[in-house]
Amino acid sequence: MARSGRPRVAPEVPPSPASAPVPEARERPRLQSALGGGRRRGAGDPGAAAAAARELWVAVHLPHYILESLQAAHPAPRDDGPTVAGGPVVIVDLERGAKVICDRDARAGAAGVRPGMALNSALALQPDLCVLPRDLRRERALLEVVAGLALGFTPRVNLEPPDGVLLEVRGSLRLFGGARQLCDLLRRQLQSRGLEPRIALTPAPLASLWFARAGEEVALGRPDALPSRLAPLPLAVTRWPERTLQALATMGVRSVGDCLRLPRDGLARRFEPRLCLELDRARGVARDPRAGYRAAERFTARCDLEPEVADTERLRRACEPLLDELCEFLRGRGAGIESLELRLLHRDAAATRLRLRFAEPVASVARIMTLLRERLAGAGLPEPVRTVRLRSGPLLEARAEAADLFALDRRRRACAVPQLVERLRARLGDGAVHGLCLVPEHRPEAAQRSGEIGDILPFSPRHSGTAGMPRKAGGRAGECPLFSRLARPVWLLAEPQPLEGGEQPRYEGPLEIEEGPERIESGWWDGHDVQRDYYVARTPAGIRLWVFRERRAPAGWFLHGVFG
Amino acid sequence: MSLHDLLQHPAIWRAREQCDTAGRAALPTGYAALDRCLPGGGWPPQGLIEILADRTGIGELSLFLPTLARLCGDAQECGWLAWISPPHPPYAPALAACGIDVERVLVVRAPPAEWAMEQALRSGACSAVLGWAASRDRRSLRRLQLAAEQARCMAVLFRSLREAREPSPAVLRIALEGGRHGLEARILKSRGGRATSVQLGWIAATVPAHAH
Repeated sequence: MARSGRPRVAPEVPPSPASAPVPEARERPRLQSALGGGRRRGAGDPGAAAAAARELWVAVHLPHYILESLQAAHPAPRDDGPTVAGGPVVIVDLERGAKVICDRDARAGAAGVRPGMALNSALALQPDLCVLPRDLRRERALLEVVAGLALGFTPRVNLEPPDGVLLEVRGSLRLFGGARQLCDLLRRQLQSRGLEPRIALTPAPLASLWFARAGEEVALGRPDALPSRLAPLPLAVTRWPERTLQALATMGVRSVGDCLRLPRDGLARRFEPRLCLELDRARGVARDPRAGYRAAERFTARCDLEPEVADTERLRRACEPLLDELCEFLRGRGAGIESLELRLLHRDAAATRLRLRFAEPVASVARIMTLLRERLAGAGLPEPVRTVRLRSGPLLEARAEAADLFALDRRRRACAVPQLVERLRARLGDGAVHGLCLVPEHRPEAAQRSGEIGDILPFSPRHSGTAGMPRKAGGRAGECPLFSRLARPVWLLAEPQPLEGGEQPRYEGPLEIEEGPERIESGWWDGHDVQRDYYVARTPAGIRLWVFRERRAPAGWFLHGVFG
Repeated sequence: MSLHDLLQHPAIWRAREQCDTAGRAALPTGYAALDRCLPGGGWPPQGLIEILADRTGIGELSLFLPTLARLCGDAQECGWLAWISPPHPPYAPALAACGIDVERVLVVRAPPAEWAMEQALRSGACSAVLGWAASRDRRSLRRLQLAAEQARCMAVLFRSLREAREPSPAVLRIALEGGRHGLEARILKSRGGRATSVQLGWIAATVPAHAH
């Protein structure tokens, strides 16, 4: 800590002949600053330089973030190019009570509309402007989308609001096949979202950011080259306060290089000490600690449909980019979701809610899409849809696929079960698919219950201890002594059916008793007690039935099961 | 793709091999009399098996219980048994008594069984799919047969005896009739085998646990 703090102290109290009587308390710092001043050119921390050599920072700068944040909410058909429907688009913001253009698209730019112009002047140039108000929340959301994408490349991501994102990629170079390939892939992914990024890569985060803001897409691997490459950049890229920049400009200091040539102590005294620190950081000689970005715990996204959509097929296609984003987000966190809520907002009618449930944590667009297609086909839309909102359930740890050379087939089967279950459930309803579960009970109707598939999935990640290992089969006859020797029918009727014929039961003819009786008396403790004598009987047609004679008050014969 | 690979395709069978497809042996039925009548000595491992029976309970399911139990016991298979729209709820204690692992049974109540059956076959999750269908749609049968050919999975479709006259793409068609002398199986169609009739007698209602 002390080492990294030193460059901050050094410029703060420079040896100043101009300063008035110096209090005693300043003596010590003064000594230190003399030390710092002594190696002014090489000021900085050797540790920081070493760190800079180890790190590589990619800066993503979005020059048109205001426009792009609103386009993400008004998605244009892809073949139409990155424009909002209608005429040339301008984004306006209130500045001292007046509406001022803060961004415009290419068509408005071609008409001469510039940022900073009053809206009225812009309308005079181009009367059919499509004017949209600025939306800070969407700008922030756009930045988080970019950060989510960035998490697919590296876990170290920082936001630089309002328009930048930083990624430390030294550890990811090998995976992506080098810095150039990584930057290209990142650019392609951003462009597929309709963004126009500026991407720069240097060993110092601040330098990358400055290059990207200047629109210079450099890729520098070593910190030595930084000062010379930074020199021509205009000072505006530093985003120092307007007053500072103006004062520097009046002194003839217009580029970063000019600023680096100034004596550090004077610069620190006349302006903020922060300036020297930032210059050091940009040169990669001062440490630049940054708080990492942590993605949200849930994914939410919305998409306004223009015009409204009534057709489920088109609705599905409109959801596709949202799902892409969702899966990108999940991949960045190494997570999956088990539930997803889709709210379709209408003009008047109450919103339609679709809940997708998955049998295991998923993070694949194709898998979510198959389910969504089923649900959309089944959902009756009362009205056309104006807005789609997506909200994921809590993020769960995605199941990592373990490679097992010898159990390929088994693993493929195990992976396929949850998918099959959720497909069937999406179409037929949750109750239509269930498993079986044995209950140690004498009463036949209580000896089983339909099991929830999630509970009995032997490969479900919830059984984390044995994930990927088949559980010991619990339903084997040997472990269930209650039933191993007794005849039980494969089909058990939901309700026993009374048989006609009095003492000689008939079912399509007189029944011929094959086995029995087997007396079952049980259940007096819960009010469902039974007192029955069970027999295996055969009809003349050769059907084997499981029948019983009721021993309690309304005595009689009942059919309870059929042997398959 | 070499000729050898091509010949491994499950849809290709060579007449001299009598339906021993893709190196996967037929699945013994557990009933010697029936095994003798089936090509390869058992149920075809691929393709649709059609069972035509008018009544539930004459022993149509008992025909398959030994095979299902063996599939459950096979560590390599490790698949699920899907029961698609069965006529009654299957009873777990009886299945367990036959040696079937009830934790691997999936019961689906789907009025049109064909769709769910096709999904189960194509999913690759199951080692056997049993379906009970009422429809007479030829196209859906054809789709089922195609799915069953491609799946590594036993596929059994139970239909009404009335359909015996209708043509069917199934690999094996057996009409079952109960009577005074027990179950009689008439093999109507058998790829690589011949049509014949076999008297199975009273087959055990529940196969004892040590049968497999």
